[in-house]
Amino acid sequence: MLTLKNLSTADLKRPLSNLNAELESGKIYTILGRTGAGKTELLRTLMGLDDIADGRLELDGQDLAKRPVRRRQMSMVYQQFINYPHLTVLKNVAFPLRRQGLSAVDATERATAALALVGLAGFEHRMPSELSGGQQQRVAIARAIVKKARILLMDEPLANLDYKLREKLREEFPRLLAENADGIILYSTTEPAEAMELGHEMIVMHRGRILANGAPEDIFDAPATVEVAKLISDPPVSIVDGNVSGGRIVLGATTHLPTPDFVLPPDGPVQIGIRPDALSVGGDMPAKVVLAEFSGSDTIVHLALDFGAAVMLVEGIHEFSPDQDVSVALDTSTLLLFSADGKNITERRSNG
Amino acid sequence: MLKPKHFFLLPALLTLAAIILFPLIFTVRVSFSSWDVYQAGLDFIGGRNYARLLEDTRFWESLLRLSGMSFITVTLQYVLGFALALAVWKNMVGGRVFRVLFLVPMMTTPVVMSVIWRTVFHESLGPANDLLSMVGIGPVPWLSTATGAFISVVIVEVWQWTPFMFLLLLAGLVSLPREPFLAAAIDGASPVRTFWQVTFPLMAPISIGAIIIRLIEASKIMDTVYVMTSGGPGTATETPSYYIYIRGLRDFQVGYSASLSLAYLVLMIITLTIIAKLLMRFLVGKDD
Amino acid sequence: MGRTYHIIKYLCLLAWTTFVVFPFLWALSTSFKDANAVTSGARYIPWVEFEPSVQGWTSLFASGSQGINIVTPFLNSASVTLLASIVSLGLGTLAAYGLSRFSYKAGFIKNADITFFFISQRIMPPIVLAIPFFLMLKEIQALDTIFGLVIVYVALLLPIAVWVMTDFFASIPKELDEMAMIDGCTPIGAFFRVVLPNSTAGLVVAGMFCLIFGWNDFFFAFILTFTETQLLPVASVSLNSSVTPWRSLSAFALISVTPLALIAIVVERFMSRGSLAGAIR
Repeated sequence: MLTLKNLSTADLKRPLSNLNAELESGKIYTILGRTGAGKTELLRTLMGLDDIADGRLELDGQDLAKRPVRRRQMSMVYQQFINYPHLTVLKNVAFPLRRQGLSAVDATERATAALALVGLAGFEHRMPSELSGGQQQRVAIARAIVKKARILLMDEPLANLDYKLREKLREEFPRLLAENADGIILYSTTEPAEAMELGHEMIVMHRGRILANGAPEDIFDAPATVEVAKLISDPPVSIVDGNVSGGRIVLGATTHLPTPDFVLPPDGPVQIGIRPDALSVGGDMPAKVVLAEFSGSDTIVHLALDFGAAVMLVEGIHEFSPDQDVSVALDTSTLLLFSADGKNITERRSNG
Repeated sequence: MLKPKHFFLLPALLTLAAIILFPLIFTVRVSFSSWDVYQAGLDFIGGRNYARLLEDTRFWESLLRLSGMSFITVTLQYVLGFALALAVWKNMVGGRVFRVLFLVPMMTTPVVMSVIWRTVFHESLGPANDLLSMVGIGPVPWLSTATGAFISVVIVEVWQWTPFMFLLLLAGLVSLPREPFLAAAIDGASPVRTFWQVTFPLMAPISIGAIIIRLIEASKIMDTVYVMTSGGPGTATETPSYYIYIRGLRDFQVGYSASLSLAYLVLMIITLTIIAKLLMRFLVGKDD
Repeated sequence: MGRTYHIIKYLCLLAWTTFVVFPFLWALSTSFKDANAVTSGARYIPWVEFEPSVQGWTSLFASGSQGINIVTPFLNSASVTLLASIVSLGLGTLAAYGLSRFSYKAGFIKNADITFFFISQRIMPPIVLAIPFFLMLKEIQALDTIFGLVIVYVALLLPIAVWVMTDFFASIPKELDEMAMIDGCTPIGAFFRVVLPNSTAGLVVAGMFCLIFGWNDFFFAFILTFTETQLLPVASVSLNSSVTPWRSLSAFALISVTPLALIAIVVERFMSRGSLAGAIR
């Protein structure tokens, strides 16, 4: 088990503060956060490439801080395609095995198997510079999984690949990662969907801190704070200011929301989280279109309502023009309630 | 205790320090003495050598001469080197032959080539005047007049070291990204405009590096002067290096020559730093 | 581009080529002259203008009063230059790698200062250090020896190696070193197994400059050697000062500059493959 206790680093640009986590063998942890959240920093610190300023990092109870990179039983895949330019693909993948002391024969055998696993059988004697980006990254992945390290770190490995390739590799991941099934796998990404799909558990990071840690569905259903809520879906959850007054939620000046399912806090200011699929066209709330963009086969519409801005997800491709007036409906069953200082206070009435 | 980072740096650092530490300290110490090699010990005369050099017009004239010479030779080397690099960096007939040939002078021994050049510039028996006379230009006093000697040295220096600029600039050109050139072509820029707006600014960092390194080496010029002109006629081609040599190894005024050396060193470091900063502002500020 | 442009361009290139090649051709011609031809004015083409003789060349390999030995100085120069270059390149490459990957600190002295220290050694004219080196070598009885010269040359060439390799290593991404360590290499192992094999271009350039500045040094060899260990440049100049046997001198000169001229061919090959680009910035 890999344990982080109040881990902090002193990096000038992206310091990590007070990270706490317990990572167990046999699980895949996805780290979700925007660019600059500190995901790479975290992985590099675990790997030993950057120094710990405060706190502890333990593997099975033993302090890792002083252990050199090569003895941490870890493996890493970078965001940029890093391969050894002077070695063939096969020698690239066999490199860590040879360093471990395996004979050339054994190393070649395992490396060949790893290459077959990532779909590069037959590429053994090419040079990395001759390969496409996707192929280079697959070589890097093969090299990372071939030594069956206890901990596999992957830093946005698909970020520099094109969309189609990303999808394809994402589908293959369960099979690839099965090689390291007994170990701990950390996979960082900026895409919420990817994080939730790939991980047993999800760690949400923002500005060098861990904001949430747990099963992806749990975090998605009940994000602990406003910050987390903003990070866990794409298109994002819209946060608007509102008030509880007279037993009802009031958004802006005039919009009263019927909320039969929720236990409301006492009167006072609150923040409301509106999921993008909670809004739909055809209702009685007036809104103006600010911007509409297509994503995949859906349309994302940025709206301006009288109580704030919100994002609406509409299935299918629809034309919306800026400044167009639409009327929208809000499904309140998926609303999120947050206190004025951002904590999740959503409470559902349990039905009798 | 031996961290990897020490393993890498210390051998070189310690070796260099060990070899030059004594010479440096010695030079400083002797500059405060009037040692002339024959005395048994080193006396101490305070700053008298330094006072003397402040009034030594011959020294300051040599510095002035060096500035002029370096400025002319390095500028010529840069311009010619750049022109040559531009001419042969793309694939062309005979490209390889030209590139190899253009590199050769830099590889030759300056002393040895100066000996040959001296015969070339020989006023009655050398081919320089012989060939010139065939087109009606009278015998040029290459080595017997001040101007002639100065020009001869400049010619030899340009011959010898233009390849250095050529090499550095050629390597730089080859490593430039394609995109800006494509953009310029699409915009319909003429070759001249492409050069000034694209090539030259992109080459600025390399140019500065090359010029500075070349200035450092050029200021030490010694071999050519020693062989061809012995600093003359008179002091027409006397550089600070040569003057220090005369005082130190001909007149054996070792103490004085040490003070000259240190003064020269300090002046060079200051001047080069200023030039480097000026070049950076001038060349790099251009690509706006 | 118009044809006129191309014609003018080739003419200019040919003009410069003529300038470059002229001294060599002149020396070549002179080396084949007999005693008369040398002193009776400028002559160029053998057989047409004078009777060629190989005495200029043969005298180089003969010994005794007639001869000017070229073989010994040649071998001496080769040994000193190669030894000093190898040492300088080795130490310099290590130092350059250290300076590009680690941060050093001793009081207020940091990486950039250390690099400046190395490079500033080149500013000092040979004269400055000549006498102290003389005294130093005298103390350890290394005057007029190959060993003594190698010591001095290492001090001269080390800065060059550091200059070239520091620039070069800056262009190799640190992630490569990191990957090597992740895969099980020590920091030193990462250098030897991964970075060094990818450094050929830089080593070629640095090595070339070391060879050039080592082989072609005159001054230190002049001051620090006498009879036992003569280097090529000194030998050629000492010829010059006696009764000038111009034709032997010319032959001597041509032989002494040939080795490095051949290196130009190797370097050009490297350069046109574009692989030197990262080495010289």
